[in-house]
Amino acid sequence: MWYHKPAINEELLQSLPNLKVVASAGVGIDHLDLKLLSRYGVKVSNTPFIVSTDTADMGMALLLASSRRLVEGNNLNVSPDTEYFPADWLGVEVSGATIGIVGMGTIGYKVAERAKAFEMKILYHNRNQRKKEEESAVGAIYCKKIDDLLQQSDFVLLTVNLTPQTHKLIGKRELELMKPTATLINVSRGLVVDQDALVEALQNKVIKAAALDVTYPEPLPRDHPLLKLKNVIITPHIGSATKKTRWVMMEEMAESIEAGLEGLPIPREVL
Amino acid sequence: VGKKVQAIYLWWHKPVIDKELLQSLPNLKVIANSGVGMDHLDLKLVASFGVKIANAPRAVSSSTADTGMALLLASARRLLEVHNISISSSMEYREADILGVKVAGATLGIIGMGSIGYKIALRAKAFEMNVLYHNRTRRKVQEEQAVGATYCKKIDSLLQQADFVMLVVSLTPQTHKLIGKRELELMKPTATLINISRGAVIDQEALVAALRTGVIRAAALDVTSPEPLPRDHPLLKLKNVIITPHLGIKTDKATYMITEEAVENILAALNGLPLPSEVYPS
Repeated sequence: MWYHKPAINEELLQSLPNLKVVASAGVGIDHLDLKLLSRYGVKVSNTPFIVSTDTADMGMALLLASSRRLVEGNNLNVSPDTEYFPADWLGVEVSGATIGIVGMGTIGYKVAERAKAFEMKILYHNRNQRKKEEESAVGAIYCKKIDDLLQQSDFVLLTVNLTPQTHKLIGKRELELMKPTATLINVSRGLVVDQDALVEALQNKVIKAAALDVTYPEPLPRDHPLLKLKNVIITPHIGSATKKTRWVMMEEMAESIEAGLEGLPIPREVL
Repeated sequence: VGKKVQAIYLWWHKPVIDKELLQSLPNLKVIANSGVGMDHLDLKLVASFGVKIANAPRAVSSSTADTGMALLLASARRLLEVHNISISSSMEYREADILGVKVAGATLGIIGMGSIGYKIALRAKAFEMNVLYHNRTRRKVQEEQAVGATYCKKIDSLLQQADFVMLVVSLTPQTHKLIGKRELELMKPTATLINISRGAVIDQEALVAALRTGVIRAAALDVTSPEPLPRDHPLLKLKNVIITPHLGIKTDKATYMITEEAVENILAALNGLPLPSEVYPS
């Protein structure tokens, strides 16, 4: 299963009586109806850990590109009309700024490790608090209430998985709690953010900017307001899109499929 | 008016400090530079007029290191290219074949391991990169170990092994066109060249040729020669190049800190005290 295709529904499952295993690329499984698949006796696997580093890198890449205005800068530099660089053209300093990581799983923790090297102050919000040693290793401070994180962060980075609890986790209320100088970065799932509320917040300068590797849907309709906002960077869900990682993902999926076909325990099975 | 001027705060190389200007300002005591690079100043000339010079070394290092990493990541993950695809109004959509280069486990070669180069090494280590460096002098062992950096006495050795080559030297007669045809050919064809130092450190024509023929994979440049480039320059048209408008230190915080450092130096000079960051002609 690649980029959520084919869509797994009752019709498809009925037409494939001998289907034994569905190997899904990546870590997210929000596109799969696990109960339905279980009823048909079909096993499911994903590729959870191999994607973590590249996705964390993507989060940092978006954070840096947005704060330093890389897209605008590059456009300025190649534009046929540019005669000189304006002296008051400034970006936001990353070193020493505060990052709020929402979702401190494997990917969130890798983001924290990277942010630490930029001398950033690290806040995080998670269902559960991490162990003291894990927190100390990256200097991360736990925010039991997401509000505290939102109010203090210069960069809010979303690395949760999509569940009924995280659906529209960031809406109008949350955006208004953020600083007007803050940037929202999303490498989780488009549906974690209330997209309409985000558009409004960006248009009304409730927050400064957004950088999104994920949207809903993907791709966005070509006339969507997010595509036209100057303070938005959008990338086409490439969090795990590097040659090396995709190679390993393929290997892992093949391995899971082989195990499933031979009736052996499936590596990376999702239960 | 000229007689009243005792200090100049130099912003983006303006005003141009030449003999004429210095002669018209007999009471000038100090020139404070906004930034760390001094290649645009004739230090000997200024000193000959009894004028002190200061730069702002402390304020620039983090911002510039951040810019280096921003360019490295943007180039590796093809950020600008895919952003343009994402917002394009055309209905064509390519999914699975937009692959970038994995940064974790890749080798970064830092040329110029001063304050800025070292901060880059610290950041690269957190990205699980393998760090090589080339410098006039070798750093202390503890400093190397803290960032896991390996010294390459010969630049060739660094060029041959690096997946990303980052230039962080100051511009001097020795570093002028440091990276030319020979050096580019020593690099891997899958490698990326990142420049946050000065445009003149690279032989620009050689770079264009190397990028066109796949001698190296890509380049990301925050500096060029001149700035801005003429609008018809080939570098502006190459797909595998990111060029940013010298935004190395252009952040709210850095600008503030640079100005603070400059003011400190100016006040010290006007009060006959030692300057915190005086620069001497070599």
